[in-house]
Amino acid sequence: MSQASTSGGDVVDVVLVDDHHLFRTGVRASLDAGVRVVGEADSVETAVQAVHALRPPVVLLDVHLPGGDGGGGAEVIRACTDLQGTTRFLALSVSDASEDVVAVIRAGARGYVTKAIDGAALSDAVRRVAGGDAVFSPRLAGFVLDAFGAAAGDVATGDDELDRLSAREREVMRLIARGYTYREVAAELFISVKTVETHVSAVLRKLQLSNRNELTRWAAARRLL
Amino acid sequence: MPGAGPRPVARLPLRRPEQGRWVGGVATGLAAHLGLRVGLVRIAFVLLAPLGGVGVALYGFLWLTVPAGDPAVVAVDERPGALARLARRQQGPDAPLRRWPVTDIAAGLALVLGALALIAGRNGALDLRWVVPVLLVVAGLVLAWSQLDAAQRDRLRARAGGRTPVPVLRLVGGLVVAGVGVLLLVGQYTGRGIDAGTLAQSVVAALAVLAGVGLALAPWWLRLVRELGDERAARARESERADIAAHLHDSVLQTLALIRARADDPAEVARMARAQERELREWLYDDRPAPGTSVTAALRAIVAEVEDSRSGPGGDPVAIDTVAVGDRVPDADTEALLQATREALVNAVVHGRPPVSLYLEVGQDAVEVFVRDHGDGFDVDAVGPDRFGVRESIMGRVQRRGGSASVTCRPGRGTEVHLRVPTRTDDAGAAGGAPAGGER
Repeated sequence: MSQASTSGGDVVDVVLVDDHHLFRTGVRASLDAGVRVVGEADSVETAVQAVHALRPPVVLLDVHLPGGDGGGGAEVIRACTDLQGTTRFLALSVSDASEDVVAVIRAGARGYVTKAIDGAALSDAVRRVAGGDAVFSPRLAGFVLDAFGAAAGDVATGDDELDRLSAREREVMRLIARGYTYREVAAELFISVKTVETHVSAVLRKLQLSNRNELTRWAAARRLL
Repeated sequence: MPGAGPRPVARLPLRRPEQGRWVGGVATGLAAHLGLRVGLVRIAFVLLAPLGGVGVALYGFLWLTVPAGDPAVVAVDERPGALARLARRQQGPDAPLRRWPVTDIAAGLALVLGALALIAGRNGALDLRWVVPVLLVVAGLVLAWSQLDAAQRDRLRARAGGRTPVPVLRLVGGLVVAGVGVLLLVGQYTGRGIDAGTLAQSVVAALAVLAGVGLALAPWWLRLVRELGDERAARARESERADIAAHLHDSVLQTLALIRARADDPAEVARMARAQERELREWLYDDRPAPGTSVTAALRAIVAEVEDSRSGPGGDPVAIDTVAVGDRVPDADTEALLQATREALVNAVVHGRPPVSLYLEVGQDAVEVFVRDHGDGFDVDAVGPDRFGVRESIMGRVQRRGGSASVTCRPGRGTEVHLRVPTRTDDAGAAGGAPAGGER
């Protein structure tokens, strides 16, 4: 999967949104030469402003942001829906809680990485998002499997079904959750990396559009009682 | 083992959620509360509607008495502070709300009905002298009762900036309108206004007014009681959370002091930082299950223990990337599985190569674990019987529980240990492991 890093060799511009100055400095320093930070923001309002002014191909977006109506990163994405298609969002999160991550994905982010990620992997994720692909961490794959009740053997039969995963998508998600890279998933299932990316994008779309989320949220809350 | 198997399903609190509602959110909330499918509840309401209006009356009653809110959020809010996450939850809609403009539709309908009544009155088909007072009474009561529905909104507004007199206006307005309606009705009843002056009629009028007042005041009183209870509970949770925050700060402080003392040992510093990071993240962002009720929590504890106590071949601390899907109450089988998982993790950390990944899946008929590292692996058959580790502590443990264990090594793609233990079939399947299994 790291091979995609050399696609064209052109530099990807990003806007970096995080309320911790220390963290922004760290990310700026760790990104490789293929990614250029063209702007920074530290709150919901400044982020919306910066994204509209700079129109970067990729926005690195913290999930927890002050300002606005308290909606954090998800609110920024919702405020930028007019830039759909030109600007893509990659969520960064210290929190591993599914409610935080799934909220920002459902708002429209193309993927999520934890803040513990190293510079090379982050740069790679940025390029992948810029190229239109989805970035799935093992943990996000786990959230997806949880949300769609995939462990219950509930499998979609048609392609247009939004509320369930197909058998193949489920296999891909399980392998990603087990720590396989796209390349390794492709080798394991005897399919091309491109096909893996197609499956992952389809899953992302389902996660964003499905109504199932509410029901599973309630099921999860019931489990906590 | 006591308490083994899935727990009895707890009920979510009865609330009327904003998300997914068609009219007032009653059916959605009821479905979430009872664990039924929304469609079924809606059909039940529709079927009950023609039976003397039972469905409509029940719906109306629940609409008025059940507070609005998200059941999941309320359930989480009501958990003991010691188990809830400390970080504030994100606000704002999760998905665009698709709801009907109920208030607008209702207002439109009321206007149309009023117009029809006027026309009917003109034609003599309806006695207009009755229509207006009845309409007035109904309007007054709706105005007074509407404060219950708006309680949530008002509270938010009040928090944003000062108390608004809206509830008071609602109450007084409702009272006045309803009172006028009742007086008109009584006047109508007695023939020509309230001039008859007979005692019985006055009593009837007074009683009617009192009934109207009582009906109008009831929601205000209900709301007062409800808010009082909420406030008390919130205060108790707040103090609990303050205790936890103090404990956390104390633990961070100690770790920082230790890190400063051991600054010359990078591996140890990295390990301590990571352990503290894990603990902080857990307290800040996760809702923790009650102790002893979650396989996932037990697994995380094992991961923490291995991360803290074991080092890689080079002496560096190794992070274990953990993903868990589904959950259930631990029993003897999962206990054995977790012990085997621990051995596999130790093996991967000590002899393998990072990154180490761990995946747990609680399915309907089995619990599965995958432990993967990027080392060159080992051949199970080539491992001599003297190396008790793999054969006995990993594979034997699981196989004795009727499960299976396998090790896959592929050059360049690391080593993966796959453990699988079937769940007992006598306890109606892992209800906890199949989220939303009953809500397709």
